[in-house]
Amino acid sequence: MGSIVIIERELLAMLRSRRTLAILTAVAMTFAAVVILKWPTSGIVDLSGSQARLVFHWLTYAMMTATLLIIPVFPATSLVREVRGRTLELLLNSPLSRTSIFLGKVGAMMGFVGMLLFATLPAMACCYLMGGVSLSKDVLQVYSFLLVVSLELVVIGLLVGTWCRSTEAALRWSYGITFAVAVVAIFPNYFLQGGASIFADAAGWLRMISPIPALMKIVSVESLGGTGIMEYRDVLRWYLFFAAVVIIGGAVVVISRLSHALLDRSRSQGLITDDRSASVKAARRVFFLIDPQKRSAGIPWLLNPVMVKEFRSRQFGRLHWLLRLVAGCAVMSLMLTLATTVGTIDWGVESIGGLIIILQVALIVLLTPGLAGGMIAGEIESGGWNLLRVTPMTAGGILRGKLISVCITLALLLCATLPGYGIIMLIKPVLREQVVQVLISLVMAAFVSMLMSATISSFFRTTAAATTVSYATLILMFAGPMLIWINRDAPFGHDLVERTLMLNPLAAALNAMRTPGFESYELIPAAWYTAGALCAALVVILYVRIWRISRAD
Amino acid sequence: MPSQEPVVVIRDLSKHYGEFIALDRLTLTLERGNILGFIGPNGAGKTTTIRILVGLSRPTSGSATIAGADCVRDLHKVRRLVGYMPDKFGSYDNMRVREYLDFFGAAFGIRRRERQKRIAQVLDLTNATWMQDRFVESLSHGMQQRIGLARTLLHNPEVLILDEPANGLDPEARIEMREILLRLASEGRTLIVTSHILPELSRICNLVAIVAGGKLRAMGTLAEVTRELSQKQTIEIQFLNASRLEAASQRVQQILGQETELTISAAESIVRCRTSAGEEKLSGLLRTLITEGFEISQFREVAGDLEEAFISAAREADAERAAASGRSASAPVSSKGVAAEVTV
Repeated sequence: MGSIVIIERELLAMLRSRRTLAILTAVAMTFAAVVILKWPTSGIVDLSGSQARLVFHWLTYAMMTATLLIIPVFPATSLVREVRGRTLELLLNSPLSRTSIFLGKVGAMMGFVGMLLFATLPAMACCYLMGGVSLSKDVLQVYSFLLVVSLELVVIGLLVGTWCRSTEAALRWSYGITFAVAVVAIFPNYFLQGGASIFADAAGWLRMISPIPALMKIVSVESLGGTGIMEYRDVLRWYLFFAAVVIIGGAVVVISRLSHALLDRSRSQGLITDDRSASVKAARRVFFLIDPQKRSAGIPWLLNPVMVKEFRSRQFGRLHWLLRLVAGCAVMSLMLTLATTVGTIDWGVESIGGLIIILQVALIVLLTPGLAGGMIAGEIESGGWNLLRVTPMTAGGILRGKLISVCITLALLLCATLPGYGIIMLIKPVLREQVVQVLISLVMAAFVSMLMSATISSFFRTTAAATTVSYATLILMFAGPMLIWINRDAPFGHDLVERTLMLNPLAAALNAMRTPGFESYELIPAAWYTAGALCAALVVILYVRIWRISRAD
Repeated sequence: MPSQEPVVVIRDLSKHYGEFIALDRLTLTLERGNILGFIGPNGAGKTTTIRILVGLSRPTSGSATIAGADCVRDLHKVRRLVGYMPDKFGSYDNMRVREYLDFFGAAFGIRRRERQKRIAQVLDLTNATWMQDRFVESLSHGMQQRIGLARTLLHNPEVLILDEPANGLDPEARIEMREILLRLASEGRTLIVTSHILPELSRICNLVAIVAGGKLRAMGTLAEVTRELSQKQTIEIQFLNASRLEAASQRVQQILGQETELTISAAESIVRCRTSAGEEKLSGLLRTLITEGFEISQFREVAGDLEEAFISAAREADAERAAASGRSASAPVSSKGVAAEVTV
């Protein structure tokens, strides 16, 4: 009974927002577009049902993509908002049990998922009418499977919400975990498949936690990452087992953490090494390369204060964290180098290069909205923007400081993959020029992502909204043209696909690497000019926005 | 100590948002070293005035200067002259108090060595040195208010504009904040303080300005303002003995009329009356009482308080607004537990 009260409140609140309406409309339209694009053009129905199955495949991929992109937003921010708005306190003081609160929240989210899936029904009905698709074996199974995936994402989101203090951090972690579970978990198996080592076995098991191979099994497509090797595990059954473990385990943890302890955040006593005994100081000097508890020096005159502030106020922006980032990137470099060396033997330099590019762009898309999405909106939300406005700093100076801080972080990440490209050039020296083109394209991708997120941020007043819209826009920008590219045989012609790909720096990088499927296009330098023009336009919009919000009202 | 030199000069300041008039030809002058309590009901125009003074907003007409610097044209100069503490703290995550102050010091262009000295000074002044290594977001509201004040003082501004500095503070913190503000004024700084805690303001401010409906209703010392705005005055008549107190109160009621509110304190032999009667009627009352043989030991006016003046200004603004909209308005106004209804 208690849960129903929560479901009613949460679901109504969700349905009242314009954001939900926009999402549902966008989903319905996208699915309609997927069906229309893949609808047979000849007017003659294929008796074997192969065309209908093809449409069905694309529809399920689109549904899975929508689930992975949309669902994490709501549970991740739900609990954080309750904590920050102190409404969780009221809920915990009411006769509602913790389980009721949890079930209410899950129920409301699943209600939304139901509506989201409902929006795909017209497209699915069209697909079913074409024949070749079974209602019980295909359609119902896909919908049931997506409900399980959604439930898993909802529990993960709520779990993240019990740890994070800000909606921005909750969004970042929620998307990060979703990305890791769904996409990253698949990759080790690509490289190690067929081996007899314990790592190969572990990679095979790791792949089972991702819903993507299981979905492909449902729609009877060859096993993702299988590359022709016989799959001896039941991917679907194992995924359902792991999902059940996550759902039940996660639910227990969330319910146990749903207490007043969530509201009682301990206050740091401000322990500083400088004030501690000589022996402690000496020990910390030995054990820490950079002591996180050392009193920081003042901002030097030659540095932009806003840039330093951005690094200091970022959760992982401190020097000791940056060192860890550099170290992590170095490890990633070594792994990529190893993967490049081993992988090129089987797949060729171009394929492995393409894989590295996709990984890098995925990393940029994952991190940039978190870094730049809240750049302006977060400042307005916290009240810091007005404080900056009453200092003698110019709007341009403030913006420069913020952009430089993001640039440095992204540059560090991009640099980490340089050894991988070095190996590629060593194996195939003629690729030197191509690698340089790839790097230019990647830098362009980083700039476009950063400026797009920053510009979006300047239009919003809350970090959560700005970050979500940034994620959606970047994913649309980088993945959208790829959907057109996937349909390159029909209905889209070569010229249209080429023109669309010019909007995407990722496609330019893949084209420069001559990755299979991209060799027939000539995207460089036109794609650079397009990205350059987009960056210039974004800089202008951003400066105008900053000027507008920083001038006297 | 206050001087005659004007620091804040506001002339005919108006701000319109479309049809809505947030400020209507506000004029005031404030001399150096004064603490001005800037009060008014919600939506009265206080924040609009403050935002114009610190350069966050542009007036529709009129002018405002701070130490001769125009708040529209000489913004750069104004920012160095004014220390502004908004009602919202503006915290950053993962920053220690010292780093937070260091950032704002650097934003004001203070050199590193000088900045470190200033940070130590302002932390000392606001009794916040002990929290310099704590994370800003983990501070309680009272602590944040102190750090907010320290941040405001970093660039050594001549004028301090503080929006609700005592809001949400416990009594001890409020007393501390009061002492800090008085100390700042004694250093020759000019302070403009807004607050809804009127007894608190009346303790620290030597000047009070009341705005309501975008207009300045009164400005002056506390006594001047209360006298100007209070529609009724309180008169205390103390008798030598309480034996004829009942008869005396009946006589007072007859002379001053039924609208006069009387309170009788037999223990003190006092009849207290709240009346709108003029000076002439009051002198007639005194004469009559003496002629009729009542033995009077004291006949005095009791000074009104800020709360009363505030309510009077709010009523005036409500009445004007209702008259402007051409309809009858009935607004319940409550003061000291007594509810009154104003009908226009």
